[in-house]
Amino acid sequence: MSGNLLHRPPILRGPDGIGGALPALILIILFFVVPVVALLLRSVTEPVPGLQNYATLFGHGTYARVFFNTFLVATVVTAVTVIVAFPVAWMLAIMPPALGSIVFGIIILSMWTNLLTRTYAWMVLLQRTGVINRTLMDIGLISEPLPLINNLTGVTIGMVYIMLPFMILPLVGTLCAIDPMTLRAAALCGASPFDAFRRILLPLSLPGIAAGGLMVFVMSLGYFVTPTLLGGTSNMMLAGMIAQMIQSLLNWGLGSAAAFILLLVTMALYALQLRLVGAKRMTGGI
Amino acid sequence: MKLILTGLLAGLLAATAAHADEMVFTSWGGTTQEAQTKSWAAPFEASSGIKVLQDGPTDYGKLKAMVEGGSVAWDVVDVEMDFAIKAAKDGLLEPIDFSVVPKADLDPRFTTDHAVGSFYYSFVLAWNKGAVSGEPTGWADMFDLTKFPGKRTFYKWSAPGVIEIALLADGVPADKLYPLDLDRAFKKLDTIKPEIVWWDSGAQSQQLIASGEAAFGQLWNGRVFALEQDGADVGASWNQNMTAADVLVIPKGSKNKASAMKFLATATSPKSQAMFAEASGYAPINTAAKAEMPADVVKSLPDAYVDGQIDLDMNYWAENRDAIAERWYAWQAK
Repeated sequence: MSGNLLHRPPILRGPDGIGGALPALILIILFFVVPVVALLLRSVTEPVPGLQNYATLFGHGTYARVFFNTFLVATVVTAVTVIVAFPVAWMLAIMPPALGSIVFGIIILSMWTNLLTRTYAWMVLLQRTGVINRTLMDIGLISEPLPLINNLTGVTIGMVYIMLPFMILPLVGTLCAIDPMTLRAAALCGASPFDAFRRILLPLSLPGIAAGGLMVFVMSLGYFVTPTLLGGTSNMMLAGMIAQMIQSLLNWGLGSAAAFILLLVTMALYALQLRLVGAKRMTGGI
Repeated sequence: MKLILTGLLAGLLAATAAHADEMVFTSWGGTTQEAQTKSWAAPFEASSGIKVLQDGPTDYGKLKAMVEGGSVAWDVVDVEMDFAIKAAKDGLLEPIDFSVVPKADLDPRFTTDHAVGSFYYSFVLAWNKGAVSGEPTGWADMFDLTKFPGKRTFYKWSAPGVIEIALLADGVPADKLYPLDLDRAFKKLDTIKPEIVWWDSGAQSQQLIASGEAAFGQLWNGRVFALEQDGADVGASWNQNMTAADVLVIPKGSKNKASAMKFLATATSPKSQAMFAEASGYAPINTAAKAEMPADVVKSLPDAYVDGQIDLDMNYWAENRDAIAERWYAWQAK
């Protein structure tokens, strides 16, 4: 959604761009720009006009911890997702197309399953009396259940699983575009497989990693369901805190301020990404 | 003849118009709302001809948004009593018209100018018999990690209950609970914090105890009642059980206020309250309801455990709701 917003200038510059983009533009103004402005207004007018909501958010240890948690979870999830997704994407890139499309189908299929259902499934697997702990205890590997849920471990597992397709898809695009001959050339010049990976494959796939990584990072920043269900109260993230402020504390000024900060951070990250990687290379790979 | 027919037709039309009346009732979903639908909405529909649409779960943020935005979609809402007191103060609720809703038999503890009782319940100590050796006898046992190891589950949201439990366990006499000593309560809760699993819905509290995921916890008595009915291997202690209430309110600006008042009259009537109590295990807020109930049901209700029972102070909570909530969530996030 934010992509459309930032891509607007080049689209509008085209001779027939404005007419074509108009419906989308109206939609974005109505359902994105207007609510965001309303949100911003609320954050500086409730309960009294001024910046006290922002002062509270920045001056309070609890909120600092929630901000820290949010970035910690997003960073850990993004890192693990990259590590898990890379081999899968590479395999997809070099697989025979027929087999590849089956694996691809399986990945897409997981995205079509309801998010809540998938998260509850992880609860069943990860809890103390869950399948994983029961099995490990039955075969005698552990004597006490491992704490896999209501903590950062649970949140990471659940979120990485949900984010994987968003990392794999852009990565496959980038990897497919790499000429396999470059790797062969590296091998012929005496590079070990690891060297070839580190000095050829990895740098060439960076745009894909950056595109997927940013998408995963930004989605993770605003995640609500999975951290709420698989995390403990000490893993609270921004989205959870905003929900609490709006629903249970009825402090909408503070909630709006927090939501606005989250939006700003997201936009800033996207701008940074555009500058570093360039819009063309980022979307060109997908 | 023609005249009579026209007259009849007009009468029929008018009757249909009245029948087309609708209102929306919002509650917390699950077994509780099912019981409310069956015990209150169904008889009300039959007697008044007004259709009751069900919505939920109750969401205080939504309620506030509706009232402030001037488009109120909910006509009667089941809320926690401390919220109702606060919401009335903030001007979010319609005053109850007690010329429509008979007040005489309503328990005065749960009746205010802007709310009538919905049902009342107790927090009890429940445990999974397979996961606990021995029998916990009171809240203090939930803080004794050597005698009763294992996870314990408490209500996640800032609400009357957990703070009081911690203070009782720390030796505060029941009649000296208020004003709440928050420092002392949180210090006591700190001693078991790593062992706490929070539940945020009644269904989750049941699942945690029934599966043994949590060995014991603070549960709504109706949820324990439902577990026992299902044959789950659970025990419960009513020692120092703590009562609190849900109340029914009408959001300010409800479009079907008149129907809503009539609905309240039916919902709080002895008969409807008795039916609901039987279906849910929660206590009636109409003092005449007991006469309508089978003896064994009466025995299972919070009313039967008044010995050592503690009434959570809703007025204190309404007064200090925001301040306590701020500390509560800050402590949880630590």
